[in-house]
Amino acid sequence: MSDKLLNLTRRSFLGTAMGGAAALAAGQSFAAGKTLNVLSHKVHQTVLGTGDGDLLKDWKSANDADVSWTTFDSNPLQDRLFREASLSSTDFNVGYMVDNRPTKQIAAMFEPLDAYLQKDGIEDFEDIAPGLVQGMTVDGKLIGIPVRHATQGLFYNEALLEEQGISAPPTTLEELAEQAQKLTFTSKAGTPVAGMVLASDLAVFPVMFARAFGGDFINAKFELLPNPEAMEKGLSVLRKMFETGALPRSYATTKNDDQVTWLQQGRAAFTVLPFARFAQLNNKEQSKFPGKIKAIEFPISADLKGKMPMSSIVEAWGMVIPANSKDKDLSWKFIKEVSSKSATLGMAKNGNGPVRVSTYADPAMSSNPVAAVEAAVLKNARGAFPPFPEAARAQSIFLEEVQLAVLGRKEVKEAVASIATRVKPLLQA
Amino acid sequence: MRTKKLAIGIGKAIAVVAILVWSLFPIGFIVMSSLKPGQDIFAVPPKFVFSPTLQHYVQLWNGWGVFFGGLLNSTIITAGATIIAITASTAAGYVYSRYSSRMLNASVMFLIIVRLIPPIVVTLPLFPIINAIGLNDTHIVLMVLYATFFVSLGTVLMRTFIDQIPRELDEAAQIDGAGRMTILRRVIVPLAAPGILAVAVFVVVFAWNEFLFAFIFTGTNAKTAPLVISEMIGSIDGVDWGVLFAASTVQLIPVLLFVIFMNRYLVAGLTAGATKG
Amino acid sequence: MRLNKITEAIPFLAPVQILILSVIVIPSLYVIWLSLNASSFGQSATFVGLDNYIQVLSDPAFLRALGNTVMIVIFAVHLELALGLGMALLFASGLPGRRVLLVAVLAPYAVSEVIAVAMWRFLFDPDVGPVTAMLSWLGLPMLDWSFEPSHALIMIGLLTIWLHLPFTFIILYAARLAIPKDLYEAARIDGATPFDAFKKVTMPLLGPAIVVALLFRYIFAFRIFSEVWLMTQGGPARSTEVVAVYLYQEAFSYNAFGTAAATAWIMVLASLLLATGYVFLLRKQVAGNAH
Repeated sequence: MSDKLLNLTRRSFLGTAMGGAAALAAGQSFAAGKTLNVLSHKVHQTVLGTGDGDLLKDWKSANDADVSWTTFDSNPLQDRLFREASLSSTDFNVGYMVDNRPTKQIAAMFEPLDAYLQKDGIEDFEDIAPGLVQGMTVDGKLIGIPVRHATQGLFYNEALLEEQGISAPPTTLEELAEQAQKLTFTSKAGTPVAGMVLASDLAVFPVMFARAFGGDFINAKFELLPNPEAMEKGLSVLRKMFETGALPRSYATTKNDDQVTWLQQGRAAFTVLPFARFAQLNNKEQSKFPGKIKAIEFPISADLKGKMPMSSIVEAWGMVIPANSKDKDLSWKFIKEVSSKSATLGMAKNGNGPVRVSTYADPAMSSNPVAAVEAAVLKNARGAFPPFPEAARAQSIFLEEVQLAVLGRKEVKEAVASIATRVKPLLQA
Repeated sequence: MRTKKLAIGIGKAIAVVAILVWSLFPIGFIVMSSLKPGQDIFAVPPKFVFSPTLQHYVQLWNGWGVFFGGLLNSTIITAGATIIAITASTAAGYVYSRYSSRMLNASVMFLIIVRLIPPIVVTLPLFPIINAIGLNDTHIVLMVLYATFFVSLGTVLMRTFIDQIPRELDEAAQIDGAGRMTILRRVIVPLAAPGILAVAVFVVVFAWNEFLFAFIFTGTNAKTAPLVISEMIGSIDGVDWGVLFAASTVQLIPVLLFVIFMNRYLVAGLTAGATKG
Repeated sequence: MRLNKITEAIPFLAPVQILILSVIVIPSLYVIWLSLNASSFGQSATFVGLDNYIQVLSDPAFLRALGNTVMIVIFAVHLELALGLGMALLFASGLPGRRVLLVAVLAPYAVSEVIAVAMWRFLFDPDVGPVTAMLSWLGLPMLDWSFEPSHALIMIGLLTIWLHLPFTFIILYAARLAIPKDLYEAARIDGATPFDAFKKVTMPLLGPAIVVALLFRYIFAFRIFSEVWLMTQGGPARSTEVVAVYLYQEAFSYNAFGTAAATAWIMVLASLLLATGYVFLLRKQVAGNAH
């Protein structure tokens, strides 16, 4: 009895009240018996649709349950999720986690899902990209089910390329650097154009440049700088681009969102962003170049072209169940539903990066102009670096040295050597 | 004499223009951006002539209903925090101004030194405690937190302001048989009005814009407007700057209204102050 | 006036003291314990003694952050005080449309930092920002804040003044309004020049308010965060990092609660050390008021 009383927590009470309001708005009478509290980014809620387009409509009525979403921006979201999971109990039933976060210690706070998968399996589980499932497996235990991925591609402004007499986008990294150089000019519209714009606060970009030469920062086997010369080559390209103005002078303070506005305004010709940004970059209301911004795979260096595939960077989200939460069976049912083929396709139509290989083959996806490229890139894509307790600190050190090298304050060789010595102790910890 | 006056007048006019440009140029840019068609917001060179549109406000209304809920929460929390902070600081400021002892002086120092502790660190222990007592995601927890982080400043300021009220006034009231509480309410509060309002401005503005505590201690129920705005800047699906600037403009209005409202009383306080000498 | 018993003051002081004790002091004591341990999410605390303190103090990045913070505190706070005082006196000297002007002056304080920084970044964009364009049109050197660390610090200083000038201004203005007009009348009748009146009437009476404004602005400036975090993220290459950014990184990016707690306490002690001068002034005020 007292258990029952305790179960009617403030949150579930409120969730029901809000769910009721939402149901009213959707024009149906609703009196769900249960509420599932989900902690996510707003985008995860949005892609599931609302009202008549609600992909969970049937699930909700079949389970007599409603879903109450609490949404935050990505970093605060992860912080809140771990905070909640470290309490003695939490009201949140399902959380969304980025695949570079589950270290051993973090993973221990979440329910292992293998048993659930055996007992009450997910539809055609093998169809979910194995690399993404791997990212959610820690110490042999599956702790999250992949639900969304963002794979990085090379975006270019076709109109600016044409203006400078370039008829085709680059097929090698060297060509990219060369074209970026040519595209550092003042356009006919009078806008100063930088060849390429990249944020300096994300490891994604320098890692991609290193991978184009066959190197890496920290690979999946936790090898630090497996090929230091490749990292040196990658950083040298970036440094040269900065020296010649092909990377803008504001490189050191450029953020991810600046990349979008710069491309939309024709201030830069190339950038690297998730394929999912395609729609925003070509949005008629925001972009000066709607329909002119195209995406391709980030090119590998000339030496490696045709010898090995380019391994672009992918970041994935998984759904997790906090170990200290209640009613885990309902949480699993929710995860199972969201992972189903039809929900995955439905979310993909709403702009979600689908985690199922089969989704890309669906005819409904043919209207998405980058789906085919994205699917091909995804095949060889990996995370920027694997999760380990000091990963965030390692990333900061890496970025600090990269900035020093690109801005010309330190020799590239020295910076790479410094990355090796400074990050090494963090990996052993 | 006349040329000197003219020179002073011109000097003042230049100062006023400089102050206006300094204060309002960036804000004007924000408001203007909220009215620009999306592709003109960051246009190069910046566009000062454009056909204004309310589309971002419409999008805000349709797509971000949660923002308006956030505004409501922010209003409730700001009002509560301001009332708590002002009441507590005025009472304490009164005692600190009128009485002195070694203990009291030490406790003023204590109030100030405590403020050197960065708010961010108390979040670590407070989160589990507040969850355990079931206050997470309620309005009251933010009201108390915001008030607490401004009572030090509030108390010290109120003491400074009350110091300027002649003691003869409370002594006269005391002779008339008024107790301390009555003196505080009838004599001190009316005369200290400008000070109280100055303190109120700080609490209101802080509580209205605060992010860190709101993000740690709320979820859905008490989610504040700045938290929703931070989601708009969210890094996953890109920023819709137009909607963001529209939201910022909307968020700015209540505080500006409050300042306008306060303005009247500040001037009223001025006249009250003039009669006291 | 004397209190007969300290107990008589308790009902007036209790609300403030209870809030401070329960929300700040007691949790901070726990933070001391935290600073002597290593802990993170999903990892229980292990006692490490003073290791966290040693680690932070021997980190060159922390020392640089501390240096930057002190620079910003010293330059920005005092410049801001001078501007705020000038504006308060200007307003008090009588301006047409003062009410409207007051709203304009206080407006920046109401802008959330996120938005303010987004706007400033665009206005001061080194390639296309309108302010940059204006500076070069006036023949002034441009603020190369995204490349030169010293320029970045100047930019951060300007932004923090922009955001907080209203704070300093309103304290001084409210205090100035409280000075009875008769005092100036009397000074004028005695043949004092406006400058004499400023020296003999305004400054002594504004003294306490100036100390309070300075002290609290100093406290806030010492933990300056958003301006730096949103403007430069401490870059280029961590050269503009400040202590609060360092602390934030430890706590929220690295989830290293032990070093975060230690950083917090070092921050408190460092600011206390620097504040001693101000606190000394304030003590004199306290003593001066004890009639």
